[in-house]
Amino acid sequence: MRAIRQRALGLAWVAPALALVVVFVYLPLVQNFEFSTLEWDIYSGSQEYVGLDNYRKLIDDPVFWSSMGNNVLYAVVSIAFQVFGALLLAALIEGVRSERWQRGLRAIYFIPSAISMTVAGLLFYFIYEPNLGPLNHLLKAVGLDSLAQAWLGQESTAMPAIIAMSQWQGFGYSTLLFAVAIQRIPKEIYGAAAIDGTGPVRRFVHVTVPLVREMTGLMMMVTVSGAFQVFNEVMVMTSGGPDNSSQVLGTWLYRNGFVRNDFGYAAAIATVIFVITMGIAVAQLWVTRRGRVEW
Amino acid sequence: MRSRALTSFAALLGTLTLASCSGGGGGPAADAPKADLTATTEFSGTLSILTKFAGEPLQPYFEDIAAAYQKQHPGVQVELIQETDQSIKDKTKTLTASNALPDIFFTWSGNWAENFVRGGRAADLSAVIGPDTEWGRTFSPGSLSAFSYDGKYYGIPLYGNGKFMGYNKAAFAKAGVKVPTTFEEMLGSCAALREAGYEPVAFGNKDGWPALHYLQQLFAYNVPAETLQADFSPRTAKLDHPGYVAALTQFKKLVDTCTDTGKGTNGVLYSSAQQALHDGKAAMYYQEVLEFDNATDDDGLKPDDFGIFPLPVPQGAAGDTETIEGAPEGYLVNARSPRAALAVDFMKFVTSMDNAETLSAPPYGQPSTVVGAVTAETSSKAVYEGMELVNKAPRLAGWLDTVTVPEVADAWLAGGEALISGGSTPEQVLASVREASESAK
Repeated sequence: MRAIRQRALGLAWVAPALALVVVFVYLPLVQNFEFSTLEWDIYSGSQEYVGLDNYRKLIDDPVFWSSMGNNVLYAVVSIAFQVFGALLLAALIEGVRSERWQRGLRAIYFIPSAISMTVAGLLFYFIYEPNLGPLNHLLKAVGLDSLAQAWLGQESTAMPAIIAMSQWQGFGYSTLLFAVAIQRIPKEIYGAAAIDGTGPVRRFVHVTVPLVREMTGLMMMVTVSGAFQVFNEVMVMTSGGPDNSSQVLGTWLYRNGFVRNDFGYAAAIATVIFVITMGIAVAQLWVTRRGRVEW
Repeated sequence: MRSRALTSFAALLGTLTLASCSGGGGGPAADAPKADLTATTEFSGTLSILTKFAGEPLQPYFEDIAAAYQKQHPGVQVELIQETDQSIKDKTKTLTASNALPDIFFTWSGNWAENFVRGGRAADLSAVIGPDTEWGRTFSPGSLSAFSYDGKYYGIPLYGNGKFMGYNKAAFAKAGVKVPTTFEEMLGSCAALREAGYEPVAFGNKDGWPALHYLQQLFAYNVPAETLQADFSPRTAKLDHPGYVAALTQFKKLVDTCTDTGKGTNGVLYSSAQQALHDGKAAMYYQEVLEFDNATDDDGLKPDDFGIFPLPVPQGAAGDTETIEGAPEGYLVNARSPRAALAVDFMKFVTSMDNAETLSAPPYGQPSTVVGAVTAETSSKAVYEGMELVNKAPRLAGWLDTVTVPEVADAWLAGGEALISGGSTPEQVLASVREASESAK
């Protein structure tokens, strides 16, 4: 009897939080799917059931696929820089003998992550500006005039320029996380490796990399998931242009909903983003459970 | 990475959730009573208004008016929701989807306003603002008809607008260039202006719509008015007149010949280009009457050095060469507002002669649609001249992104960007717009 009462009491404690999660997270998700099956005129309020038409429309929409391609490119570059690059940098920082220097370097690399993405986007918009931006001035100053261009104004360079900015912004955060993971590796293991005569490169490959694999797996999942949630930097820097060349799924969703008034189609894109990020989240849970490092 | 929240996803879900919470499925607040304009005005309660005047120098205009109105009617509280030109689009759509439109809200003319009329969101104001009514007679007839649909009048026009090439007279004099009389002459003058040390035409198209302003004026010059009008509606559109390709080609030539940024113009902010004219670095800049008073000041381009002319007409143009691109902007009254009569009274106050003159004068420089409010004495010289030209024009061409449906406008927008960057030819741009128009039928 007491156990039942205690269980009921426990449920009562979590009920408000559970209700909030249901109302503000799960209910909108279900409703979003419902709206993706409608053609909805927000002005008249009329809603017509169209089944899976909005999903079929996705298949024939070239901008949807190029947006998806941009998200994938974003993910691939982010894995290279923010996972493997950050791991390498973290190992180098942790290899520095002076603790004061270690702290200083960690802080230097982390500072860009403390800047909000919107602010960083604006900052880089001005860095890339074709007339006044310092990047073109710098290129011209060192004799690389032919490389100076409108970085955000051309289809071929807009997306790479945005991705480059976000690597700058996110690199330090990943480095800091890897630095923490490396610090957790017992010093004795490095000591034993040194006694065996291994150099710094082999110690990195055979000791550091395997022993931070849990963090590496986690970072990969977080990075890929983040790559499919990109929105702010694209909106601030190009709004998806020119000619939709830098659209990502998030901005294409926004454009369809808030510019083209096609809220049903926007809801269908939102469902696709949800399915992708949900899949990545499930994989993340699975990997972190299986890849636990113990010593 | 952490800040990469799914903002768009959340915004959409938020909008959809708000809509469902407010009974979005049942039509536009279907249970709410219809606005009653004939009811006796009760000067009490809170009157909400969504404006497009956020930020300096416009922000104080409605704040001062609200304070003055509240002083006259102590029982009324005016709640201002002030947004910018860019943010008001999202705000209005979110409020519409969630059936939470304020009592009075900003609108562009054309398809933007028509959507609210078609959806039953805008009150029919014919009885109070029709051309034969006392209040209606205070407005220029053209501005009233810009918000007229099926013979009914819905909008309260606040200010007129038009697009002109603004130029630096000193730069023209230094380069030995005269105000061009044809489009070709303007292109020809760019070399001399560049030699004199100026960027001939400053142009920033980061947001896409500035290109549409050039295109719409060139379409009006190159495509007969009836054809152009029919092509705005996907139901009647053919988009096969050769004037379109001619206009797109002329625009591309202008960008390549007269701007320093050329195919990189998509990377430049509209406001950066405006600044270039103000700072004396550029000789010309295509701008709206609403911007004239911001183009000059004592630190930069002096008002006496600032001149305007309509975008010159290309030789042999097949359209209406006297058309000027421009459209009034105004306000709608929520069709379901329980305070519609109060809303009308407030807007009568906003458009009274005193307030209309204040709006037309610097620092606001928004030429009121109230007859007699824009004079050489009340407004700056450029604003006065611009509105004179707008009022004399036999026809106005509305903004391209508001006169047609959003899918087609979006295709024009992407096409304009592709044309500038060299990603598409004029023919390819037109084909993509035709495709968008087909699918929007």
